[in-house]
Amino acid sequence: MKLLLGLAIGTAIGAVMQLGGASSYRKILGSLLLKDMTIIKLILMTIAVTTVGIYALDLVDMANMDIKPTYVLGIVIAGLIFGVGFAISGYCPGTCVLASAEGKTDAMFTLLGGLIGAALYAVVYPWLAPLISVSNFGEITLATVFHVSNGIWIAVPFSAILLLLIFRVLKDRYE
Amino acid sequence: MQDSPVLSWKVAGLLLGLLVVLATALVKPFGVSTQYVVTDAIVLHKAAPAATESNEYLNKYGEKSDWGIGYGWMLVFGMFLGSGIAAMATKRFRQRENPAMPAMWKEQFGDHKAKRLLQAFIGGLLLLFGARLAGGCTSGHMISGISQLTVGSFLFGASIFASGILTARTLYRKRASS
Repeated sequence: MKLLLGLAIGTAIGAVMQLGGASSYRKILGSLLLKDMTIIKLILMTIAVTTVGIYALDLVDMANMDIKPTYVLGIVIAGLIFGVGFAISGYCPGTCVLASAEGKTDAMFTLLGGLIGAALYAVVYPWLAPLISVSNFGEITLATVFHVSNGIWIAVPFSAILLLLIFRVLKDRYE
Repeated sequence: MQDSPVLSWKVAGLLLGLLVVLATALVKPFGVSTQYVVTDAIVLHKAAPAATESNEYLNKYGEKSDWGIGYGWMLVFGMFLGSGIAAMATKRFRQRENPAMPAMWKEQFGDHKAKRLLQAFIGGLLLLFGARLAGGCTSGHMISGISQLTVGSFLFGASIFASGILTARTLYRKRASS
């Protein structure tokens, strides 16, 4: 049952992302070159909706939240590595799956590289443990940092700022 | 050409947001990169069970009870199906002139298929190494993490864009300066 649910939600997510252009190399590189804001707007719009949605669910105790630990050093290094891979391939771990399904062979190579990269990480994991334990602040959110008991009080203004940003501030710059 | 997406970013963002909220209500927030580890664990466990079981990381993230697939893996498999169906339904399956090469890439780097595939492969390697070190990727950290207001996810998002923008500018030097 849960497997079928995953399949159903995943199919819907995959279709929406594909139709939204998330698996397009040109759209992703356009975002990183700050010329085409489509993908940035798409991500920020998603975050704006999801933030309010999740914290509204949390009000009625229905959000199955999963807060990841904040280990500053490890996460920043990881992000810098990820960003290089993002720009070189033009995909991310999710969009290369989508693009592979569209028959794009380069995306299939990214997917394969990803499987090997994850295996490589599994091998070196014991040696990288210090990166995760140092500067680790645990499962903190903006709500816990600012001692706000109900996250919705941050979620609503945060989403409002994102909406302002995507509808009023971010503009495409074409050559 | 795939000049403009079928759905605008407004509609796609709204729908995607609602789907992630639905997933969080029913099961848990949305994430992709863990499933690369799960896939590795399944394959490696078939090939070398003892070595796989003794690997601390694969043990932690694989579906260790049966070394099989779970909800999260089916979700990613669903994404594959959904994307394929959407592309075919809108007649955008295999629409590239060369399936291995985006037109924009070819314009910058020339008609070198092997070079593009190597770049895509190395890119994937770095993506997943980074995502596993961070504990999530664009979906788990950027979308689900920031939406839960997780501090580390904001850091991850900022780091991705800092290095992604720098790398893209280096790769597309001639374009970035114009």
